[in-house]
Amino acid sequence: MQSTPGRWFGAGHSAASDSAKAGAEATTVALAGRTPQAVFVFASAGHDLPALLDAVRAEAGPEPAIVGGTALGELSSTGGASRGGVSVTALGGDGFQVGTRLAYVGGNGHREAGAEVAAALTGIDRPHQALLLLCEGMSGNPHEIVRGAYSVLGAAVPLVGGLTAHDKGGARSYQFHGDRVVTGAVIGVGIGSDAPIGIGVGHGWHRVEPPMVITRSDQRRILELDGEHALDVLLRHRGLAPTDALLTPGRRMEALGLSRRSGEDMRVITEANADDRSVTGLATMPQGSICWRMAGDRDSMIAGAEASCREALDALGGRDPLGVLAFDCGGRLGELGADGVREEVEALRKALGDVPFGGAYTLGEIARVRGSLGTHALTLVTMALA
Amino acid sequence: MFTWSTHQLTEYFTAVNASASEAAAIAVAVERATEMVEAEAGAVVLGDTVHGAWGFGRDVPTKGLLAVASAPGTLSVPALGDLYAVPSHLGDVVDGALVVARLDDPFQPEERQMLQGMAQVLGLALRSIRVLSAERTLRADREREADERLALLEQAQTRQQLVETLLTIQRAISNRKPLPEILDAVTSGTAALLGGAPVALILAEAGRARRLSVASTAGAGGYAFADPDGPHAEAREAMATDTVLLRPVSLTDPYAGTVIAAPVRVTGEMAGSLVAQLPGPADRFTEHRDQLTAFAQQVSLALTDARTVEAVREAHHDPVTGLPNRGLFLKIFNRVLASRAAATEPTSVLFIDLDRFKGVNDSLGHEAGDQLLHAVAGRIRGCVRASDTTARLGGDEFAVLLHNSPVESAISVGERVIEAVKEPFRISGRDIFIGASVGVAITRAEHARSDELLNQADIAMYRAKKEGQTRVVVYEPHMHTEALNYLSLRGDLQQALLEGEFRLQYQPLVRLDSGEVAGAEALIRWHSGTRGLVSPADFIPIAEESGLIVDIGQWVLETSAAQVASWRRTYPDLTLNVNVSGHQLVHPRFAANVTRALAVAGLPSSAVTLELTESVLMTDPDAAVASLSSLRELGVQLSIDDFGTGYSSLAYLRELPVDELKIDRAFIARAELTGEDLALVRTIVELGHILGLRVVAEGIENAAQLEALRRLGCSYGQGYHLCRPKDPAEFPQILGSPVRVIDHGTG
Repeated sequence: MQSTPGRWFGAGHSAASDSAKAGAEATTVALAGRTPQAVFVFASAGHDLPALLDAVRAEAGPEPAIVGGTALGELSSTGGASRGGVSVTALGGDGFQVGTRLAYVGGNGHREAGAEVAAALTGIDRPHQALLLLCEGMSGNPHEIVRGAYSVLGAAVPLVGGLTAHDKGGARSYQFHGDRVVTGAVIGVGIGSDAPIGIGVGHGWHRVEPPMVITRSDQRRILELDGEHALDVLLRHRGLAPTDALLTPGRRMEALGLSRRSGEDMRVITEANADDRSVTGLATMPQGSICWRMAGDRDSMIAGAEASCREALDALGGRDPLGVLAFDCGGRLGELGADGVREEVEALRKALGDVPFGGAYTLGEIARVRGSLGTHALTLVTMALA
Repeated sequence: MFTWSTHQLTEYFTAVNASASEAAAIAVAVERATEMVEAEAGAVVLGDTVHGAWGFGRDVPTKGLLAVASAPGTLSVPALGDLYAVPSHLGDVVDGALVVARLDDPFQPEERQMLQGMAQVLGLALRSIRVLSAERTLRADREREADERLALLEQAQTRQQLVETLLTIQRAISNRKPLPEILDAVTSGTAALLGGAPVALILAEAGRARRLSVASTAGAGGYAFADPDGPHAEAREAMATDTVLLRPVSLTDPYAGTVIAAPVRVTGEMAGSLVAQLPGPADRFTEHRDQLTAFAQQVSLALTDARTVEAVREAHHDPVTGLPNRGLFLKIFNRVLASRAAATEPTSVLFIDLDRFKGVNDSLGHEAGDQLLHAVAGRIRGCVRASDTTARLGGDEFAVLLHNSPVESAISVGERVIEAVKEPFRISGRDIFIGASVGVAITRAEHARSDELLNQADIAMYRAKKEGQTRVVVYEPHMHTEALNYLSLRGDLQQALLEGEFRLQYQPLVRLDSGEVAGAEALIRWHSGTRGLVSPADFIPIAEESGLIVDIGQWVLETSAAQVASWRRTYPDLTLNVNVSGHQLVHPRFAANVTRALAVAGLPSSAVTLELTESVLMTDPDAAVASLSSLRELGVQLSIDDFGTGYSSLAYLRELPVDELKIDRAFIARAELTGEDLALVRTIVELGHILGLRVVAEGIENAAQLEALRRLGCSYGQGYHLCRPKDPAEFPQILGSPVRVIDHGTG
């Protein structure tokens, strides 16, 4: 193994309730006195976000790019998994190049926003590149954002990232770009490096037999499964009465896996309509697709997280990892439960050793490594830097 | 595995055809095609230019794309490496190809077929867009001939109609309409588009001969190419050459019409041909050639789709009941065992076997049998929680998997199932009565195996059947050995008939007023060479289950008829009672077999009473009435055995053409009959008398029982107290002297 001297990656975390204090605390730990090129900030929407970013800027200095967004939870090697806190990761040193772009989804549309932020890689000439996308999670069609970036960059540049969320139930989430807190936007972060960049994807969910056919759907809404009202079918499979609610806080989440060549394309169900008995998810549900209910037990989900880390590290071509940026699905928080989340963090620590990591619990994950589709759900996406 | 949905194709059609410009149509086609096969990159090559390059980033490998546009190959992309690339041609009018390229995995035949279909649609769209833009240019030119403009307009309308027709077919496919309906939609859509021309879809049948048959036709009839018995020369040629055939009907007269045949492939294999006949010479129909090809692609997709969905379904579900099959059930079971919150969480499985189902299937036919199974499945599902899994294992066997369910609740579910199945089923306008026997196995073990548990439940179910059906039995380890024994009985029983191991004994039927022996009931005995004496209670159920009962029953009838005929030479009034199983009763040749046996023995039919158990009669009372009536026409008498144990329906009792009721021994089993026992027996006796039936009491074992029955007015009796069953050699001895029926010691 070899590593590039002078390059670094740091992670920090704070649970302080005062937003400025939290931002400063987490940044101080992540920087450890070093000057960063980019700082990644993920925080609860409950914080005073401008105050928090000001504090981060004060610690980081005027130069570095600051990007990030609000999330369902924070993740870091120093603070583990938390809710309502702040996680800060940063990178710097020789051989890294960073560029950022901001575009609003509401401007020219999702695809154009994706294509626009792909320009974050403009001027970056290092041999290894990736585009990090931090997207508004409640914009309706994240897939189009990824398509937009792909249309410019093509298959040679991996895309990675996550969808920001509002952990307090707001209708929009927030993204951070420079010193600004924005909403309804996509942030593109072009990363260039002298060393390989490894991407890992893992979920650990499995199919629950029997398979079903989506017999009637409309965009993201499934009206019928196997010719019956979709909600009734899912309730029955779940062992609930027709009058029960499918989605209640604290209850296991409902996810469908659409049959794909390389496994299942996961869809989280986010709405159940008791009147027309339909269910709605975060991405399109093509009529005629064969799908399965997906279930995750704690062990296999944790194994999925480990697999994600391994995949990212393996792609470094034998170089020592400096750090890992992680986008873990918020749905996994609920599925794993408090103990499970602790176990998952332990599993990450075990898989990554002393390598610092940090990131967020997101509303959806982005990782395009193979094929041209890049949105995921209920997965852990990791990006390892060497 | 099926990895895309036909609805995505519908969306693809809509998007491509809604595109106003060539560039837009190409862009959407390339992007969707690439995504659907999870490829990295794609483009359209028209002539020597590349359009709509997708996934290559800034450096489009133009040279490489031009090379793979004519034949599949490797496409080298600087930042990516070598990709597998396949071209799909856009049709005959638009010279070009849709190229899709993927890292790591080559393309499968079904993927290539779908890409070919997508390319075809793109070709049609591009041509129409060109025609329309040409029309726009020409619109300025007022000098053009009016009819030319009309022709262009017509083409535009045809395009719209084509798209709509293709969409209708796609919707039919994605809504999973029955395959014949989809194929009809294809032929009628083609015919409509071709101005009502005759169209036939000809498909190769499975099997080595690959005989061609006409799967669907539309348009005008009476054409040779659509004749089911015709040689299908055009279809054969299109299939053999894998090209669209365009040929004049007559070699001498070009105006006699033109036949077009387009090949149809399913996942890469040649499957048939779509054939149409158009009026006029061949050179007019280049346009139609492409349309027919597009429709042929639809047939290919519909057949592929139908085959895949069927395969997925068939692999997991029982088609009759819609329930998971054994394979899926075991999979789910394994999953449940593995995901128990605690290894000690009890998991139970119920094995349910229907009683008397075979009789229904044999007498009413498989269709009624299937309807019954479907209805049973519904009732079983109604007895369990939604989270529990119900499956049909095969035949008349079902299984239920209960999550986290202790033995008490498993038993109560089993009992609920039995109660639910007991209720009559209305099938083909008749009330059908069946029952269910349930075996339960339960585990708290950390490492439990699903197949082992199911097997244990099966064994417990056998025990339930053996203990008299319609009950729930929980598996216990000792049952395993017993079950093995039980199963090996079946094998021995088959030998017994061949080896002549069966014997008959005769039990006299005694008049309770005089003590005279009025008749003899034939009782079967099996003295097995290896097992010794085996009780009928042990082997009759197995004989019934295996169907061997029909042969055994016939042997009993023939042997006893000959025996009683010989005794009647001395005692001419002696009658014979023979037990008949439900399986015999519903056997189509039963009446004929009875006639033959009696004729051979020389026994008049009036001397014979056939005994049937109440439950056999009540399984399907309507069928029983019909079968019994034809037996009655032969002159034989009929008796209901074990009366009072089944579920008597007085209405049926009145309709059944019976002559005799036998009161079950259970009613007089107590040594001292209670007032309640007596009241029940009196009711049955009176009922018999009201209906004009002979009433026989079975199992009289002491003098007090005999006396009580006499007083209640019961005319006939059987039982150890009167006389034990006798070997044939001993029987004549009791025929001469009346049995003592009055106990003078107490009377």
